[in-house]
Amino acid sequence: MATATPEVHAVAAPALAPEQPVVWPRRTVRTLANGMQVVLVESHTIPKFSGQLLFRSGNAVAESPGLADMTATVARTGTASRSSRQIEEELRRLGADLGTGAGADSSSISFGGLVEFATPLLDLVADLARNASFPATELERERRQQIEALRIERATPGFLAGERLRKVLFGAHPYAVISPSEEQVAAYTREALERYYRAHYAPENALLVAAGDFPGGEMLARIEQTFANWRAPCQPAPSFPAPPSHSGRRVHLVHLPGSVQTQVLLGNHAITRKHPDWLPLTLANSIFGGAFNSRLVMNIREQKGYTYSPRSSASPLRLHGYFSVGAAVRNDVVAATLAELFYELDRMRALPVGDDELTDARNYMSGVFSLGLATQSGLAGQLVNLYLNGLPEDYLETYREKIRGLTSAEVQAAARKYFDSANAQIVVVGDRAQVEQQAALFGPVTAYDAQGNQI
Amino acid sequence: MSKLQIPIEHTQLANGLRVVVAPDHAAPVATVGVYYNIGFRLEPQGRSGFAHLFEHMMFQGSENAGKMMHIKLVNSSGGVLNGSTRYDVTNYFQSVPSNAVERMLWLEADRMRALKVDDENLRNQRDVVKEEVRVNVLNQPYGGFPWLDLPPVANRNWANAHNFYGDFSDLDAATLDDVQAFFRTYYVPNNAVLLLLGDVKPADGFALAQKHFGGIQPNAKLPQADTSEPPQTEERRANVEEKFGTLPALAIGYHAPKRRTPEWHALAILDQALHGGRAGRVYRQLVLEKQVAVDTEGGIHYPLGDVFDYNGPMLMTTRILHKPEFTPEQTIAEFDAVIAEVQEKGIAGDELEPVKVKFRSDYYSSLEGGLGGYIPRFGLMHYAACFTLFDGDPTLVNTILDGFMAVTPEAVQAAAQKYLVPQNRAIVVRTPAKAAVAKGAA
Repeated sequence: MATATPEVHAVAAPALAPEQPVVWPRRTVRTLANGMQVVLVESHTIPKFSGQLLFRSGNAVAESPGLADMTATVARTGTASRSSRQIEEELRRLGADLGTGAGADSSSISFGGLVEFATPLLDLVADLARNASFPATELERERRQQIEALRIERATPGFLAGERLRKVLFGAHPYAVISPSEEQVAAYTREALERYYRAHYAPENALLVAAGDFPGGEMLARIEQTFANWRAPCQPAPSFPAPPSHSGRRVHLVHLPGSVQTQVLLGNHAITRKHPDWLPLTLANSIFGGAFNSRLVMNIREQKGYTYSPRSSASPLRLHGYFSVGAAVRNDVVAATLAELFYELDRMRALPVGDDELTDARNYMSGVFSLGLATQSGLAGQLVNLYLNGLPEDYLETYREKIRGLTSAEVQAAARKYFDSANAQIVVVGDRAQVEQQAALFGPVTAYDAQGNQI
Repeated sequence: MSKLQIPIEHTQLANGLRVVVAPDHAAPVATVGVYYNIGFRLEPQGRSGFAHLFEHMMFQGSENAGKMMHIKLVNSSGGVLNGSTRYDVTNYFQSVPSNAVERMLWLEADRMRALKVDDENLRNQRDVVKEEVRVNVLNQPYGGFPWLDLPPVANRNWANAHNFYGDFSDLDAATLDDVQAFFRTYYVPNNAVLLLLGDVKPADGFALAQKHFGGIQPNAKLPQADTSEPPQTEERRANVEEKFGTLPALAIGYHAPKRRTPEWHALAILDQALHGGRAGRVYRQLVLEKQVAVDTEGGIHYPLGDVFDYNGPMLMTTRILHKPEFTPEQTIAEFDAVIAEVQEKGIAGDELEPVKVKFRSDYYSSLEGGLGGYIPRFGLMHYAACFTLFDGDPTLVNTILDGFMAVTPEAVQAAAQKYLVPQNRAIVVRTPAKAAVAKGAA
């Protein structure tokens, strides 16, 4: 090995070079005559394309919890002209992946494949969206698989914590339910799936987003050809009961016998993406616990070693949003963890964030946003966010500027409104004997088993 | 099908550090990675889990960037970062707006030059790692299954057969001296590759690499370890308990042929035919047709990696969650029927060609996103790093598909007959401690 040329090693980090302008690629946005919205963007990183066909309704409007998700699941298993096996083999022949599913507010067929086979893949996606046949045998198979999956979810601490927090925060509102019960899944009928499909898989309710290695004009022509003659009526959205408001901290304990760790998750109501406070809230969240370099991670991971991956997030649904803080911690530090969480939340509320910390966080939010430019899936994700949520057309182009304009006072105001520490609802999932006394220091305790029964 | 022509330039510094630049100026962002040719296979005996614990220590501070400074400088430059420990490599990577590239090189060079950590850092990260193991393994349904359960049954060489996440007693036994010795031995420029991908010009990247890494001393005595496995002569089996989950589970692992041989190409294509999603023969037969299982997954290096990113003995693994009304033996018999059919009849061209199309398509997607979808070009970095460290040639990224696309039906059948035999496999049965609640299911 040759000896290296000695170099004088700098003791200070190099300054940042001048920032490069970020130019979002031009997108094609079109509403077809039948009402379907189409958004396309070119990205030539690999000879593929990926996208989503979205419908702006999901489990929240379904007649039974989770029915929209089961509808999407079974929709991929047969159409008027294709069997399940034909669909899967065709996808493989096209080098394609396809997934179907539904969340609270939307249902989706997501797809990706080789651009050389773009036309047949779009044809298949259209067939699933328009002509699904819901074979009874496929429903029965999927039903059993889902029931087994639900039982495993009910043994998973992270799932149980998220489920309980949503129940507490949303009460009678359909957002309270993130997963159906076994009994509800057992009661799904083929007719109910078809009813949901007919009511919501309609062009007026649809958004097609695709990013990839295609000429935008050619792709738009293909899509128009594939979807233009689609006509289907769309059902208007119902109205929902208001979520409950909470006064005072309460502890909701989910007993998981034998648990060797405790999942802590606390939260409160916040806002949707369309609210004017959304950007200040996300910046406050980034400083508090949304980034590796955040106060939460510094405190309970890097200083105290209580946990591996603590995180906070602002979660926007279409009609409501909530803020939450979670960490999986050692059983003997549940009280210590909660004390630190409330300390950090109250610090955000009481004291302004200093200039350096604010600048760092603005740089983080702004920089990470532009990482989404570099991949097809990143671009498609940004566009789905924009168009599914009905954000302003210039959202992507002005985001960085808006983040850079936020002040310490705006961040503190957001923390005071949306880090509602006095009324936080505290979920702990763990072995009751080990954690109940610790949790009870923070509020009156209601205990549940993993099935959701009060105990 | 068009040939890949990803621009890749590479060089080597006098101290042995390999430098790879893959320029693409479409967006003003760059991914910067450093890969060390050391994974959990080679951690010291009595120190299971040490390679991963050490990875955590690399974020605890270096001579000029104290604790949290690395993370703070990446995040505050607008970037994200992570690291991971695998069989044969440990990687550190960050994606940033391209105006922060030099800062990232300075950070990576500072910790390659002089790790500076103390006992308090070690205690802290030992606690963090224990919570990581609890959240991913000890307190999760099917935690660590099968990546922690199968290797000790399938393998005999300690390098391939120990607990890669670490026994807590071994984690407790680790000292600061262990940390510094491991650092001096393996974290040296002649055991590493630096990668710059995205908005970086090759000439600039090479100059910056020389500026920041050129003065770091190599280790003239890099250890050569033996990771070979003795030949297996009969099927190996074990039973373990599933503490939380309600379904019985199985893992079946076959030793794969040596990397970059014709048999390896053939088994990889067969792997795609067996485990490639819902069209794959294993899922189709066990879940969709016979309905003995509710889920199957699998692959070579499953679930930690893929066919490209390891360098030593490796298993092709199938993981099955099956219905409790079937016994493990009945489920294995259905799986064996799938294998027997390939051995007897092979896979005809009209199935093999689509399998190759999917293999190629998956490869492109891996290049762009892969395991770390939030790191642009993670997969391109990952493959270029592995091909540099294992094969001495990052440009294999552009040509490695050729061998797989040339696989014949005969080669697939021969690979099935030679490798997918009981005396070349291990089976682990994971049985739930508590029976499923008997309601709701038909």
